[in-house]
Amino acid sequence: MKSIQRRLSLGLISVMVIVGLVLAQTSLWLFEMGLQRYLESGLRNDSENLLVALVRGPMGVQLDEQRLSPAYQRPFSGHYFRIDFADTHWRSRSLWDQELPQLPQAGLKGNLQLGPEGQQLLVLRSDYKRFGQSISISVAQDYTPVRESFRLMRQIGLVLGLAALLLILLLQRVTVRRALRPLETARNQIAQLQQGQRSQLDTQVPVELEPLVAQINHLLAHTEDSLKRSRNALGNLGHALKTPLAVLLSVASSEQLKDHPQLSKLLREQLEQVQQRLNRELNRARLAGETLPGALFDCDGELPGLLATLNMIHVEHLDLSYRVPPGLQLPWDREDLLELLGNLLDNACKWADAEIVLSVGETPEGFRLVVEDDGPGIPESQRDQVFSRGTRLDEQTDGHGLGLGIVRDIVDVWGGVLLLQESELGGLKVVIDLPRRH
Amino acid sequence: MRLLLVEDHVPLADELMAGLNRQGYAVDWLADGRDAVYQGRSEPYDLIILDLGLPGLPGLEVLTQWRAAGLATPVLILTARDSWAERIEGLKAGADDYLSKPFHPEELHLRVQALLRRSHGQANQPTLQAAGLHLDEGRQCVMRDGEEIQLTAAEFRLLRYFMLHPEQILSKSHLAEHLYDGETERDSNVLEVHVNHLRRKLGRSVIETRRGQGYRFGASPA
Repeated sequence: MKSIQRRLSLGLISVMVIVGLVLAQTSLWLFEMGLQRYLESGLRNDSENLLVALVRGPMGVQLDEQRLSPAYQRPFSGHYFRIDFADTHWRSRSLWDQELPQLPQAGLKGNLQLGPEGQQLLVLRSDYKRFGQSISISVAQDYTPVRESFRLMRQIGLVLGLAALLLILLLQRVTVRRALRPLETARNQIAQLQQGQRSQLDTQVPVELEPLVAQINHLLAHTEDSLKRSRNALGNLGHALKTPLAVLLSVASSEQLKDHPQLSKLLREQLEQVQQRLNRELNRARLAGETLPGALFDCDGELPGLLATLNMIHVEHLDLSYRVPPGLQLPWDREDLLELLGNLLDNACKWADAEIVLSVGETPEGFRLVVEDDGPGIPESQRDQVFSRGTRLDEQTDGHGLGLGIVRDIVDVWGGVLLLQESELGGLKVVIDLPRRH
Repeated sequence: MRLLLVEDHVPLADELMAGLNRQGYAVDWLADGRDAVYQGRSEPYDLIILDLGLPGLPGLEVLTQWRAAGLATPVLILTARDSWAERIEGLKAGADDYLSKPFHPEELHLRVQALLRRSHGQANQPTLQAAGLHLDEGRQCVMRDGEEIQLTAAEFRLLRYFMLHPEQILSKSHLAEHLYDGETERDSNVLEVHVNHLRRKLGRSVIETRRGQGYRFGASPA
């Protein structure tokens, strides 16, 4: 995914560069045009002065040297002229051995190269009628110094422009970062959401983000609500089906059927199958699974209640204990975790002699839940069989496994791994590794 | 033993009543949560079987109100909602045991029996033991020194109550309240007859008569 920051920077740079170049080029061009026009008026002046300096002398038309500017006398002074008559032409002394070419028609022309120093000349040709003959006067001025300072100016402008561009980019980055801070906050909050550290996003956000945050919050509330509703509906369904099932089970083993033992047995077997299937599917449908939990599972808060319930159900004096780092919270749905731990511990209670230990801890990859008992355990050769693919644990009629089907379902949904080992207490050790949520 | 059954599903209630009666329990039946709140507190029940999905008032709410009012009678919750989260809620509301539907009738009978013994401080053994007698609640007969003595249903009920309350003085009216359900005519003469039958079968010293106070079972001969 492209970052908004980078996209904004790229867009801004290209716009700035294009606009800057066009602007600089245009202003330079306009400036040069203005300068030429200014120089042109000077040249026209010179040309008229030359015309005035043309006087009728003893040998016909001649130039009054007194009226000429000294710059025309000094070689390569930068100021030149050429006067064309019908049959001959005069050149200014400053031209020295160079020839100033006559422009094909009257007007201004720039960029004329001349002389050993490569002077850039601006030439103006004006045509006049004087003393009954047509005279064409060309005056030229060297504007190399002007061009030099022009180039310098362009370089300074370029450097200044670049510096301005950098400064703008820097300021833009800062501004964008500040403007995007709410986005960053929202992103962090979504991460916390994934970890289960919060159940809603903050609603104190800029107007632009408001619909997004409101929608996410709405979706979260909706998910939680529909989970609650579907759990409730499943509870009702279970209630509606299980109560008549309890009646049937009771009838099947009642006195009235004592004379028909086979019928009674058949009825009971079938009803038990219905019951097992129903329990399994209802439990599975209740799972929140991957849904984001509304709140973290707080071990310190929940485990004592669970162990007390187990103690109540298994009246034999079992020693149930748990080892959990203080303040540990697990990022999964409370009911799912209670179901997982409840069934695991319930199974352990059925087989334990006296002691059951639950340990929960954090590992680099996620969390590890361990349930150990001091019962008979399962021989290693049979452990694989219990967990081989296709074998459903609650279809095992004896031994460990009854009620563990739902445990398997939950661990699968969470992408965890379930292992059976031998416990130091002597019995079975069930290890569940759950990967961290991302 | 007098039980209160709160269950709104009539066919199930009928079945449970019949089964529990066969086990020698006097059972009162209610279907509405609001009635249960009142009657559970006003009648001296030995155990209450409470369904959670009740009309009128949810079962958990009924239980919470009982416990808030100081009712200490053991309560066995009967429910189709059997997730661990709900079981924990039931326990927090003050339940003593939890049985999820559907269940075998024998399972319920065993739980009731165990819960009654537990609430009277008796160990959960195959037989109920007091004053050298072993009462087999499943077969409704009593054993003394390896000798089996048959009992009628009424004698069994009475003896079980005595054995759960050894060395306590129990008045006739107290016994009548706990041995008969709310609809049975209570005649103290019938009680006397049953006490006499028990004495004939088990020996005179087993039940002592305290004049003006009532009966006392299993008192060590002083």
